[in-house]
Amino acid sequence: MADATVQTVARAPRQPSRRWPAIEDKLPSIIAAIGLVALWQLIVWGFSVPTYMAPGPLDVINAFHENAATLWNNFWPTLFEAALGFVFGNLVAILLAILFVYSGTAERAFYPIAVFINTIPIIAVAPILVLIFGNGYLPKVIIAALICFFPTLVNMVRGLKAVQPATLELMRVLSASGSEVFWKVRIQSSLPFLFAALKIASTTCVIGAIVAEWIGSNYGLGALIIEATYNFRSPLLYATVFVAALLAVSLFVIVSVAEKKLIRWKSQEVH
Amino acid sequence: MAVAALEKESAEMASAANPHKPAVSIKGLDVTFGGGEGAVTALSGISVDIPQGSLVTMLGPSGCGKSTLLRAIADLVPASAGEIAVLGRTPEQARKERNFSFVFQDSTLLPWRSAIDNVRLPLEVGGGGKAHAEPEALLELVGLKGREKALPAELSGGMRQRVSIARALVTKPKILLMDEPFGALDEITRDKLNEELLRIWQETGTTVMFVTHSIPEAAFLGQYVLVLASHPGRVKEFMPIDLPYPRKLKLRDTIEFVRITAHLRQLLEEC
Repeated sequence: MADATVQTVARAPRQPSRRWPAIEDKLPSIIAAIGLVALWQLIVWGFSVPTYMAPGPLDVINAFHENAATLWNNFWPTLFEAALGFVFGNLVAILLAILFVYSGTAERAFYPIAVFINTIPIIAVAPILVLIFGNGYLPKVIIAALICFFPTLVNMVRGLKAVQPATLELMRVLSASGSEVFWKVRIQSSLPFLFAALKIASTTCVIGAIVAEWIGSNYGLGALIIEATYNFRSPLLYATVFVAALLAVSLFVIVSVAEKKLIRWKSQEVH
Repeated sequence: MAVAALEKESAEMASAANPHKPAVSIKGLDVTFGGGEGAVTALSGISVDIPQGSLVTMLGPSGCGKSTLLRAIADLVPASAGEIAVLGRTPEQARKERNFSFVFQDSTLLPWRSAIDNVRLPLEVGGGGKAHAEPEALLELVGLKGREKALPAELSGGMRQRVSIARALVTKPKILLMDEPFGALDEITRDKLNEELLRIWQETGTTVMFVTHSIPEAAFLGQYVLVLASHPGRVKEFMPIDLPYPRKLKLRDTIEFVRITAHLRQLLEEC
């Protein structure tokens, strides 16, 4: 109690800028990555691994070149589904978290259901949704949303509740209204928790969209993965996987940049 | 210069109010927590008048309800029986009219707000109140000029408590309620802030009620010491401290001061 602020809050350490700090910090990981790719090519060459079984990096680069248009055309639907799922899944989770914080009854009624839904493997829900909503965008968006939903709900509830009792007493002494407490205290204190969840969601929403495309789709990176596998077009399969990973990483970077812009302070309770 | 302006305005405020009316008048106050057989009587039959413009420290063994008494005056805890008049009004009316400010043991600063924005908080919520002082001038008054943009995590415990005192003064309260504000600080910082509190009290003319569990602190600061006994919390003595202001830290080494603290210690042992 004595020094609670010190425990909950700590400033992110800032490295003093050296001349090439960014490159110097990342140099080991860049060298390691290049080394692994080179090793991969050497193994493929050395053991004469057939291309359909495991293509080398050069085959994959070639596949990127030859199938640029196919990859590009299938990239957009997946991005669209993942992004829309991200927005809706998180939005519903945030609104539900707010409802839970203000209504204990709602929390007791719906929290167990939310936990139950979370325990169903997404791969098992996908066929059900495809049967109900058909082959269009809708089931993919729903699955991407579903996969984002739970971590955000849990974190957001924690974040909205992570206000110290003394802070609420301060707001009472100041005769602050309910909405003032919400906007000036609760929402602010929940932001670090929210962004921790959004970073998870930024990569899982891509997984959701791709899994949904496996079940029933003629387009998207998921469909392309299935098609390339069945036709033994392994270089294309690898190229597609790289594009999918790139998509997830891009979304993660966008969320991280937004976090840095919005939150100058750090709450240690998040970790 | 800003400090001089503050001083003048508060002097006007003090003369406008009736000097004979007590700042806080308590008659037969009981505070009971819980109901039925498990009910705990925190305060029983408290009657005391706090003169306007005075500095009253409240001292007692832990569990004597000194914090509860302060919270009852601040409308944070309801009275079970008896009356509290804050400048002739109920605690609730006084709270809504911003007649008092509260300083907590923990600084309760919002970690995402800079020092100056934390000081501005009372002006942004609960209607903002009628009178207000310049937040910049207040940070100067508490010795934090130049640290306006600093986040709470970048300030030491003592500095954070200074910000919270500036925040309490921004609404120009007639009464300042302080609940062990320096209890979590090291002794050196605490001594320094004790001296500064006396200076601020004399410059602003505010009535101060100060809860502490330190005998020297109670005697050094107080014009009066309200000694409370425990189980149930009741008034043991309302003792004037006949030491002239301005008081300096070395006052505590004088024989008069030691006599007073010895008497207070004696009283506490009887509690």
